[in-house]
Amino acid sequence: MTQIIIQGLLLSGLYALIAMGFTLIFSIGRVLNLAYGAYLLIGGYVYFYFAQMMGMPKLVGVLLAVIVGAAMGLAKYRMIVKPLKGDHVAIEISTLILAIVLQSGVILAFGDSSKILLPIIPGVERLAGATIPYSNLLAAIVSWAILISLYFFVNKTHTGRAMQAVSMDAKGAAISGIDSDRINMITWGISGALGALAGVFFASYTQLTPSMWVAPLIISVAIVIVGGIGSIIGTLIVAHIIGFMEIIVTAMIAPELRGVFTMVLIIGVLVIRPQGLFGREEL
Amino acid sequence: MTILRNSAALLGAMALMATAASAEIKVGFIGSLSSDTGLSTLRGAEMAIDELNAKGGVLGQQIVLVKADTGEDVTEGVKAYEFLAETEEVDFIISGSIDDVSLGWLPRMQEFQIPTLDTWTSYVGIIDMIVDDYDSMRPYFMNIASDEALATLYIDFGKDVLKEKMGWDSVVILAEDTAFGGAITGLVTEALAPNAGIDVTEIISFDITTNDFAPIFAKAEASGADFIYLVSSVNSQVVSSQYVKLQVPMGMTGVNVAALGHEFWEDTGGAGGGISTLSPVPSLGFALDPVNAEFLAQYQARYDTRPSIPHFNGYNAYHGLKQAMAAAEEAGGFELDAWVPAMEKQDDIFKKDGEMWLRWGWWGNDEIEPRTGRAYPHNIRFDITEPYDEGAPSMVVIQWYEDGTNAVVYPDKFKTGEFVLPSWVKK
Repeated sequence: MTQIIIQGLLLSGLYALIAMGFTLIFSIGRVLNLAYGAYLLIGGYVYFYFAQMMGMPKLVGVLLAVIVGAAMGLAKYRMIVKPLKGDHVAIEISTLILAIVLQSGVILAFGDSSKILLPIIPGVERLAGATIPYSNLLAAIVSWAILISLYFFVNKTHTGRAMQAVSMDAKGAAISGIDSDRINMITWGISGALGALAGVFFASYTQLTPSMWVAPLIISVAIVIVGGIGSIIGTLIVAHIIGFMEIIVTAMIAPELRGVFTMVLIIGVLVIRPQGLFGREEL
Repeated sequence: MTILRNSAALLGAMALMATAASAEIKVGFIGSLSSDTGLSTLRGAEMAIDELNAKGGVLGQQIVLVKADTGEDVTEGVKAYEFLAETEEVDFIISGSIDDVSLGWLPRMQEFQIPTLDTWTSYVGIIDMIVDDYDSMRPYFMNIASDEALATLYIDFGKDVLKEKMGWDSVVILAEDTAFGGAITGLVTEALAPNAGIDVTEIISFDITTNDFAPIFAKAEASGADFIYLVSSVNSQVVSSQYVKLQVPMGMTGVNVAALGHEFWEDTGGAGGGISTLSPVPSLGFALDPVNAEFLAQYQARYDTRPSIPHFNGYNAYHGLKQAMAAAEEAGGFELDAWVPAMEKQDDIFKKDGEMWLRWGWWGNDEIEPRTGRAYPHNIRFDITEPYDEGAPSMVVIQWYEDGTNAVVYPDKFKTGEFVLPSWVKK
């Protein structure tokens, strides 16, 4: 049981971090960014290249991954989302194609075989029979720290409140003098940075492969559907529901069914409560 | 009359031209062109062909190699075999296919009756097909010891090392959810465990796309078993590296295909220490006789991309292709009535320090292997009984150490290191 609780907490923290950037874009830009998983892909590979292949300090590798992720988010907004403004289907198709193109680019640069990232902090701690890898513990702590910071940023700063305003009513926010283009830029930049950071932790927890963008995208979509649009707290809670559910299913039922219950949960929520468990129209 | 004479001369010239155009031996390669497995066979074949061509070729003709990529996919494998047979009309096929792919194209081989050599597939069911239906299966040869031979010697490892040396009484099996995983799990539960006196406490099956093994290892730990038996042929570096990164406090051995390759250390980011696996020979860490050492040196001088050391099937392809061409030379071609008996007689023995070390020969069609009590027609002649003086061992166990080196740890005759537990596991 201790194992389940510890692993559930570690995994849920990671899932919350993965889903947060996706939730931000979906809430504020009303865009289903199907290339979101590509931030994780690029973040993981940037870290791998600089920290593992080039031998740079791990912190530098993480920072470079975050910077590249943020730059990708900004570029994607300027070059794809803004020109296609209003056409959600075109944006969704374009972002999906972009993810596939990036996957091909990674294969070209690094090959299609999977790669293993060394832990950011090697070693484990044993607690009441449970194993706590330091790297995963760090991921959970960083995840919580970011989520708390983001919560205060959104609720206590002028920019954060402007983001809330845009998420509720973009036209109304514009009339009030809020530059929604600037807010969207900031949001896409933060989303890219969060995605890339999540990619470093996700890859060091699992593996690096050119197709690794798919699983985090599914996790993010699941969390947004189950939790409902918006709400940092909702994202956090649903990330824990899904994280714990996966660990419990793996440990107590069958490892092959790990993702199945998440899918069942999605269908159930869509049928019973389409707006999601914590569905709100604002952050 | 003049017209007839001229026509006959023209037809004769055309026939000569046609003969000249086909005056080459076509060898078809079937396997993945992007996996270490496929590339090992391909490169072994390329080296053998270049050597033979430098000496004048076969039957006075140069050998050309045609490649057909399977992508390790069964459907693509069938199409690849058809391409080699129908479009390229090859004389001989050398395969680096994985088991499922070989089973896919096997009916095509029975249909086209093209001499075919498998260098990786070890599925004993194919040998059973030769026993049951020799006429349609006679073009097929397999120069890796088949599963039953691999498993029988591995049982000895279970008794001698896992049970006696390590004192382990119980095992939890972690097996991928594939046909391969099911087959090996069956061998462990029905043969290894009862013969070695080891109890199977639990069998945990996992999907090959699994990338988080923490809860699975937790489940294995909770089973109370003394050690983990891993069966993984797909993405084995993931489960291996997580075993190391999570410092799972139990020993782990089994069949781990990624650990067969020299790039395993790099593929796991250096998190591969302590991993051990069954491997056909010649494996990593296997001391080589002078002839095969020279093959390896030539290979490394020629190829600068992975696999930097060929898997065992690279050696199989090199020797097997030369044997197939020697048989064609003796038989005057690839006509089965003459070529098959000539191939069955091929036997190359390699000694090290005066001892039988490696052997590429075949079991007689009706010959019974004494320990397993069955026949292995067209299967490489292995030896699964000490002192291994009638053939190469069917397999060895290799282990990766925490400093990135590796060694053969079983059987004693071939071992170059000791089977040890990772530093974080308490005995």
